[in-house]
Amino acid sequence: MNVMKTTAALAAGLALWTLALPVQAQTEAQKALSGTTIHFLAPSMPQFAALGKFLPEFEQKYGIKVVVDEVPFENYRQKSLVEMQQGTGTYDFFAVDVMWLAEYAAAGFLEPLMPYVKNTDLTDADYDIDDFLPRVISGTGVFNDTLFTIPIGAGPVGTTFRADVAEKAGFKLPERFSPDFTTQYMFDAAKKVNNPESNMIGFANIPGRWFWGVTYLPYLYAFQTPETKGDEYVDKDWKISINNERTVASIDYFTSFKQFMPSDSANWGIGEATAVYQAGNAFGTWNYQDFVKGFFEDPETQAKVAGKNVHLHTPVGPNGVIDPWFGAWSLGLSKDSKNKEATWTFIQWLTSKDIQARATQYGAGPSRHSTYKSETLAKYQPWWPGVYEFMLKETNPDERIRVPEWAEISDIMGEEGNRVWIGEIDSKTAAANMEKRMTEAMRKGGYYIPGRDDLPKQQWRDLTYYDRLPSSWN
Amino acid sequence: MSISEHTTTAHALTFGQRGFLSRFGPSNRTIFPWVLMAPTLIILFAIGIYPFLYSLYIAGHNVILSKPYIPQHFVGLYQYQAVVQDPEFWHALRKTLLFTVQAVFIEFWLGLGLALLFQRQLQGVAFMRLFILIPMILPPLVTALVWRYMFYPGAGLMTYYVGAVTRALGLGEIPFLSDPVIAFQTLVFVDVWEWTPFMFLMLSAGLASIPRQPYEAAEIDGAGSWRVFWTITMPLLRPAILIAVIIRTMDAFRTYELIVIMTRGGPGNATTTLNVFLTKTGLEFFDASKAAALSLIMMMIIIVMSFVFIRVFRSKTEVAE
Repeated sequence: MNVMKTTAALAAGLALWTLALPVQAQTEAQKALSGTTIHFLAPSMPQFAALGKFLPEFEQKYGIKVVVDEVPFENYRQKSLVEMQQGTGTYDFFAVDVMWLAEYAAAGFLEPLMPYVKNTDLTDADYDIDDFLPRVISGTGVFNDTLFTIPIGAGPVGTTFRADVAEKAGFKLPERFSPDFTTQYMFDAAKKVNNPESNMIGFANIPGRWFWGVTYLPYLYAFQTPETKGDEYVDKDWKISINNERTVASIDYFTSFKQFMPSDSANWGIGEATAVYQAGNAFGTWNYQDFVKGFFEDPETQAKVAGKNVHLHTPVGPNGVIDPWFGAWSLGLSKDSKNKEATWTFIQWLTSKDIQARATQYGAGPSRHSTYKSETLAKYQPWWPGVYEFMLKETNPDERIRVPEWAEISDIMGEEGNRVWIGEIDSKTAAANMEKRMTEAMRKGGYYIPGRDDLPKQQWRDLTYYDRLPSSWN
Repeated sequence: MSISEHTTTAHALTFGQRGFLSRFGPSNRTIFPWVLMAPTLIILFAIGIYPFLYSLYIAGHNVILSKPYIPQHFVGLYQYQAVVQDPEFWHALRKTLLFTVQAVFIEFWLGLGLALLFQRQLQGVAFMRLFILIPMILPPLVTALVWRYMFYPGAGLMTYYVGAVTRALGLGEIPFLSDPVIAFQTLVFVDVWEWTPFMFLMLSAGLASIPRQPYEAAEIDGAGSWRVFWTITMPLLRPAILIAVIIRTMDAFRTYELIVIMTRGGPGNATTTLNVFLTKTGLEFFDASKAAALSLIMMMIIIVMSFVFIRVFRSKTEVAE
């Protein structure tokens, strides 16, 4: 009897909850798209897995079938660029990493989205593009003043530590964004806790050659001075400016964590470092805010660490500078798509207030004001709200210079940096090599053509550019 | 037009067509062979010659696939110059040659040893032969993935068991894929594991084709086994050795899956061979022109190497004969 009562109560609750959901009536134009099949190319990552849970709901509501092809992250850029370049329209839309937008958009592979946003026949009335955080949408989806992609979550890179291990060692970790969490503090804490004989390494760093463009950069920024912020890679004239004592110091700092790690760690990527942390064998590691739930806080798959973590930003450098950049994925409509309207219908539905808020229970990150303020986010990912102010006021979307040459720049940095890690060269040589090779990449990109006067504006030097209202972009 | 006129016209047409077609028929000994070869030639042109010519065209221009907005124009030999002036090219070439020489050398001697061993009628030879061939049958991608997990830090089978031994000996962990020298040798080891069976197969076939008479004559003359090996087996095996070594050299020179999956050219650039460099240039930086020039240079290197092999082996075979 009790079981029946409970079941009835649950059913009633479910019905009420369903009724309470905002119901969007379809437009005639959307109804006409029923029966269409659209194809999506995405990397295998937690945030896409979270959004994948909503596909049946969309297909049932709109009658549009979504076919998703997943590719390992390391092969994704190559696969997506080959597909885009061929221009066959095999994929109607693509996942776009924040760092690749310039490359994709400059090449004309993506469709400008603002006309679709403003098309009331295809876009739900409560879509509200201005609900997106200005710096997130401009930093993720805008190139040359034109909106090309819509974000599905954006967050800073940070660090995750075991609070219980720190407590046992007799100290308490600072709060997120605390000025006390410095590069020196992080190193000292890792050293204090490091005890490989007891299967506890001080910090699971990520020195693999292909990850430096993400995992090393917070330290490159942290070692800047307030005066050199913005000059990490290029000066105001686009000349490469990475060969300096700040870069050398940041490489030395990053590689100093080698002493805590096993001898076979030179190729460690996110997978290896995360696995060691999840197994309870590391005091701290790298995190990307969108991965926190999927990688560290799932009690079913990370029983050894879930609920015992403190999630912090990356540390403040010796000159008081903190890493301002964020990572993000967004959805871009292929210019060669033969189903543009159906694809936009899906993109706007998936990035709507309702779905974005609900997706946070599966680990998706926020990119809308409403998502940050949603009860679902607070309940399932309570570590997020503290990031809100940072994403509104501190973050700098272009701190990693978003130029089509970034993939090459990032690769050069990784190769030279990794050579320092394995002891092949020292940090000074690495910085000099980086400068030389990056200069060649920029030269090839046409930045140093004598007399050229149409070089892009370095938007990161004036952040007001990114604070424009989302609906004001082209 | 009457019916008879129609018939006459049709008759004339048919004969006219037959006459036209008969020009390409078996009676025409000049053209008919080309007719027979035409389908093959068309396919060869489509999949071999056209791409080659297109590569030449691309290498003579400045095509960056991810930057279609850069105006394309003829650049002469600039891309070839860019390749040979790139220190990464010379580094990758050194690594490629080192990898190829080491791998082929070890595979050859191991394969020859196995082939000689299996020539004896030992018990269970048929089963063992099948067993030995397994690595070669596996797709290279699968081989690379299996070994990658065998060497996975902290969890791989090799890392675990070899690590247990080295730790017991006080040597600590062996960084199979993290140390520049050891990572390179690990790749050579896996390549040897995978391709020694190929050498074994080729050399076994070569040994089987050697006639018995020279051996019988040597036995009568009282020659020792070492002398028989160097003066009879090796010279008569040369044609098989030549083919096996050329095929393996070309393959080892182009090794790709193994390196990309196990180390992706790292740590640092310790295992960046020409093919890895080529892929990075063409499919990561999408510099199609530089990649095309590089691939043509690689092709020339392989052709020259094969030519040298053939000349050296042929001259030695002629001397032996």
